[in-house]
Amino acid sequence: MTSARGARTRRTSTRRVRATGLLLLVTALGASGCSSGSPSAAAGSGSVRIGLLASLSGTYKEVGTDLRDGFQLYLDSHQGKLGGHPVDLVVADEGDGAPTALPAATKLVKQDKILAMTGIVGAGSVAAVSPLLTENRIPLVSSNGRPVVKDVSRQWSTSFMSDDPGAAIAQYVHDTVQGPVFAIGPDYQGGWDELRGFTDAFTKAGGQLANPGGKTLFTPFPQTNDFTPYLTQIKNSHAKAVYCFYAGGAAVDFVKQYAQSDVAGIPLYAAGFLTEGGVLNAQGDAAKGIQSVLNYAPDLDNATNRSFVSAWQAKHSGPPTTYAMASYDAAAVLDQAIAAAGKNLTPETLNTAIGGLGQIDSPRGTWEFGKNTHSPVQKWYLRQVKSDGRALSNLTVQDLATLGN
Amino acid sequence: MGLIDANLVPAVDGVAFGLLLFVAAAGLTLAFGTGDVLNLAHGTLYTVGGYSAAALCDGTWRGLLLALVAGTAAAAVGGALLAALTAPLRRRGHLAQALLTFGLALIGGDLLSSAAGGGDLPVAFPAALNGSVLLAGHRFPVHRLALIAVAAALAGAGQLVLTRTRAGALVRATVDDPQMVSCLGTDPRRVHAGVLVAGGALAGLAGVLGAPVIGPGPGSADTVLLLSLVVVVLGGLGSVGGALVAAVAVGEVQTLGVVLAPGLAPYLLFAAMAGALVLRSRTPGRRA
Repeated sequence: MTSARGARTRRTSTRRVRATGLLLLVTALGASGCSSGSPSAAAGSGSVRIGLLASLSGTYKEVGTDLRDGFQLYLDSHQGKLGGHPVDLVVADEGDGAPTALPAATKLVKQDKILAMTGIVGAGSVAAVSPLLTENRIPLVSSNGRPVVKDVSRQWSTSFMSDDPGAAIAQYVHDTVQGPVFAIGPDYQGGWDELRGFTDAFTKAGGQLANPGGKTLFTPFPQTNDFTPYLTQIKNSHAKAVYCFYAGGAAVDFVKQYAQSDVAGIPLYAAGFLTEGGVLNAQGDAAKGIQSVLNYAPDLDNATNRSFVSAWQAKHSGPPTTYAMASYDAAAVLDQAIAAAGKNLTPETLNTAIGGLGQIDSPRGTWEFGKNTHSPVQKWYLRQVKSDGRALSNLTVQDLATLGN
Repeated sequence: MGLIDANLVPAVDGVAFGLLLFVAAAGLTLAFGTGDVLNLAHGTLYTVGGYSAAALCDGTWRGLLLALVAGTAAAAVGGALLAALTAPLRRRGHLAQALLTFGLALIGGDLLSSAAGGGDLPVAFPAALNGSVLLAGHRFPVHRLALIAVAAALAGAGQLVLTRTRAGALVRATVDDPQMVSCLGTDPRRVHAGVLVAGGALAGLAGVLGAPVIGPGPGSADTVLLLSLVVVVLGGLGSVGGALVAAVAVGEVQTLGVVLAPGLAPYLLFAAMAGALVLRSRTPGRRA
C-alpha cells in the first residue's frame, strides 16, 4: 500500500518537475524569440542591432532565405562585424506581403529598437513598411523589392527599381522579335511595376503589345496555380513572343505549364527572377532556352564575384542568386557606412553616412547609389538557361543597358 | 467551331479541375448530409494528401503509388480524429462544431506547414505525367488527362457504392431521415463517423492526385475549403449528384471563365453561388 502510494507521489512529482521544466523552456524560448538583452541599438560592447525582414514562409520563401543567407555570408566572412562593431542580427518573417510584413517590421522597430533595417522581398511590403521607418527615422537598406516612393531620404536599395529589368530588355526584345509581344505578370505592386517597366520602354521603342487592347494581363496573386486559361489567351493573341515576370512558386508553375501548353514554341523572355535560384531546379528541362534580364549572373568574370561564388558554394549547394548577392551588398553598404559614421553612431548619422558612400565593389561589378532613386546605377545582363556541363544555369549572353539615376 | 477550337484546352482543363474538386468535396457534402457537421477542416485533409505527395513522390511510379496509399490513409485517420472530436459536441449545435473544426484546421495547417518548412513544395510526379501530348491540334498536359480518367473512375465507383451497396443505402437513408435509420437499429452516429473517414480518405486521395494543380503549401487548405464550400452550396447540401455538376461548373468558371470573361472571372464564382442560394430559397427544400 505505502509503496504504491510512494510510487504514485514520486510519479506525480516527476510529472510536476517535467511540467515546470517545460514551462521554463517555453518561457525561455519566448523570451529569446522576442528580444535578446537590452533595448538600446548600441547594446553591449559597442554591438549594433540590424533588423532583417524577409519572406521565410509562403510563395517567396526561397527568395527570403537567400536574402538572409547572403547577409549572413558577408557577416561570416567579416568576423561577424560591420564597421568594426559586432552585429546582433534580428531576423523576422515577412510572409507573402504587406499584411504579414507590417506587424513583423513593427516588432523590429518598437521592440528590438534596431539601428537599420534590411532585406524585404516584396515591393508592396516595402511600401507598407516605409511610413513606419520614416516615422521612427530608421534607414532602410532594402535588398530586393523597391516600389516607386516619393520620399527616399531614408530609403536605400541594393537591388534595382522594380521597373528596371523590363526597361533594360525592352529594346533587345523589340529588335529580336520583330512582332507583337504578349506581356503577363502577377497582380500586385511588384508585378505592376515590373511589367510597366517593360511595356513603357517597349512601346516607346516602337514595339506593339499582343495583349487585347494593349493592356497587360495580370493574374491573381498569390492564388494562381493554374495558368492554362492565361496561356490560351496568349495562344489566341497570335503573339510572336512573351515577356513575363514571375518569381517563387508561381514561376515554377508558369514555366512548367508553359512548356506543356500550346504556346510551348513561342520564345519566352522574362525578368530574371523567373529562372533564378531554387526555382530553376524545380522547373528542370521545362526552363531550357528561356532568356532573361538581370543585374547578376553567377558566371560574371570579376575578382569580387569569384570569391563571392566560392564562399557561397562552400556553404550552399548550387550557385548564388541575385537575391543573395544584393543582400551581401546590403551588408557591405552597412559595413562601410557604419565605419564612416564613426563614434556617434545613430540611425540619423548612419543614414547620412550611406548618402556619402561612393562606388561599391560588388560581385555584379561596381555600382553606386543613384542620386534621385537611391537605387543602384548598374549594368544589366541578358542570360539564357542552358546546361553548364553539370546542371542547368543562367549563362551570360551579352550586356544590355546600364540604368539608374 | 473556331470558338470551341480556340478554347478547347481551358475547357478540358476545367473538367480536370472540376473532377478533382468533386473528389475533394464529395466527403464534405456527405458529412454535412449525414451529421449536420460543416467540417471546416476538410481543406486541411486535402493538404495532408498534398504533403504526403511532396514527401514520397520521387519521380517514380512506385513513389506515386506509395504517396497515394499513405496520403489516403493519413487523411482517413484525420477524418476519424475529426469524428471522435466532434462527437461530444453533437448536442451543442452547428456553431460549436464548426468552430471546433475551424480550430483544428488552423492547428493542423500550422503543424503541417511548419513541419514542411512553410513554402510551397514541389511534387515530383513520374516523367510520363509531366509531359504533354498533341491531340486535335492542341498540346495537352498528360497529367490533366490522367486526372480526368482517374477522377471520373472514382466518381463512378462512388456512385455505385452509394446506389448499389448496403453501406451506400445506409448513408443515403441517414441523409434523408436519421431518426428512421436509428429506429431500424443502426446508429446514425456510426454512419456519420464512417462518412467522415471515407470523406477524409477521398480528400487525401485528391490531395495526392491534384498536387500539380493545387499543390501543398500554406495557402492550399484555404483554397480547397473555399472551393469545396462553393461546390457544396451550389450542388445542394448533402447531394452527391449536385456536387458533381457544381464541381465541373466551378472548374469551368475558373478556367474557361477566365478566358471568355476575364474582367468578370473573379466575381462569377460567387455570383453563381449567391444566385443558387436565392433560387433555392424559393423552391421547397429537397435533398437527394
